[in-house]
Amino acid sequence: MSATGSRSGAPLPPTGWQTLGPFFPQALFRDGVDNDLRRRRAGAPPTARGVPIRLRGRVLEEGGGPCVNALVEAWQADAGGRFRHPLDPDWREADPDFLGWGRALTDAAGRYEFLSVLPGGYRDAAGPRAPHVNLAVLASGVMRRLVTTAFFPGFAAANAADPVLSALPDPALRARLVAKDEGEAEGARIFRLDLVLRGDPETETPFFLD
Amino acid sequence: MPDHPLPDCFPPYDEAGQPQVPIEGYAATARRNPARALFRRPHTRTELTGPLDPAAKLVPGEGNLAVPGPGRVALGQLIHISGRVLDEDGRPVRGAVLEIWQANAAGRYANPLDAARDAPLDPNFVGHGRVATDAEGRYGFFTVKPGAYPVPGGPGRWWRPPHVHVSVIGPSSLSRLVTQMYFPGDPLNPLDRILNALPDPAARERLIARQTDPAEVEGEWLAYRFTLVLRGRRATPPLP
Ligand SMILES: [Fe+3]
Repeated sequence: MSATGSRSGAPLPPTGWQTLGPFFPQALFRDGVDNDLRRRRAGAPPTARGVPIRLRGRVLEEGGGPCVNALVEAWQADAGGRFRHPLDPDWREADPDFLGWGRALTDAAGRYEFLSVLPGGYRDAAGPRAPHVNLAVLASGVMRRLVTTAFFPGFAAANAADPVLSALPDPALRARLVAKDEGEAEGARIFRLDLVLRGDPETETPFFLD
Repeated sequence: MPDHPLPDCFPPYDEAGQPQVPIEGYAATARRNPARALFRRPHTRTELTGPLDPAAKLVPGEGNLAVPGPGRVALGQLIHISGRVLDEDGRPVRGAVLEIWQANAAGRYANPLDAARDAPLDPNFVGHGRVATDAEGRYGFFTVKPGAYPVPGGPGRWWRPPHVHVSVIGPSSLSRLVTQMYFPGDPLNPLDRILNALPDPAARERLIARQTDPAEVEGEWLAYRFTLVLRGRRATPPLP
């Protein structure tokens, strides 16, 4: 073993985070591929299951300026609320053509966009999860990823019962994590959620302890 | 499907080993971190899981940043960076996607956003790479030692020591890691505000690679070892 510890002894301390910095290479990002959660692998066709969605918004800093060249990462259940992962007791029923993970690189206006399907809710030990997409922001000045969750309008009862959304003490904060319905375009339902990394109390996005 | 156990227990980070904000002289840390305290949330299935095979989506490349083609060699000190990706129990993390990016030997990024200075670009230096870890959690990159560069902006200008940006996509959302690797003995290390954002000196020391005794290294590359430990303990059995 390395000098950092031993297999049998005390746990190894996890490596410290550092900022993504301003220069994450655009060459490591393929627009339309890396931000498409519906494809299991590069080049595979998107899953046929579920309601296609586009989840989009802007990443903003204090004062409303855009966070340029920031990464937004997304992870969600499939349309049936399943994960292809051993921690999901129903993983065998997971959509075999759906990945559920992707990342977007923000443009000069701080915009990100994901192509996905509307996630299903599921029952968890912590309570019934409403349909949601977990989001993480990495950017220059962000020293550890900032994590939050996008919820969807039209699921008022499920959202009210969700144990993660309920971790926010204030209804105004909970409402801020529900994406806005912007209708349909290009065969997909459009949802918008801006991520305000820092702002006044009326606009700042609530983020969770990672 | 994984044929190795996956961590399913993610203790909270030790704050002394993680960067604290804001950082003086790095204005973005004041503008881009929430004013409000982070909210505690339960770890449900979405938080605990992640894509089992990230390399299927983020396809690994060559791992050689310094020799983009026959007869083309980047300027600077040729180095090899290798090491292992482990979980907190010291078990190797296989199939993790590692990405690195860095300045060239002159301290310039091959990124149109790094245009504020006269430091030259090197047409033979790629500047970024991507590999996946093997069954023992091992990875390796051939590259050049990056140059230091000044942090742009107002009064109190400071310099970044030579460093390599590292991103690791592991087996769980909660094991995600983005960090920077530093070089041993650099006089800029103790002055770097980003490295020093980690309060615990031992945690800072773990971000500094170890140089392999040059007498033990074959070929023309100076060798550095850098171990990465992802958050996560205990094992969930793999899918049958
Ligand atoms: Fe840098």
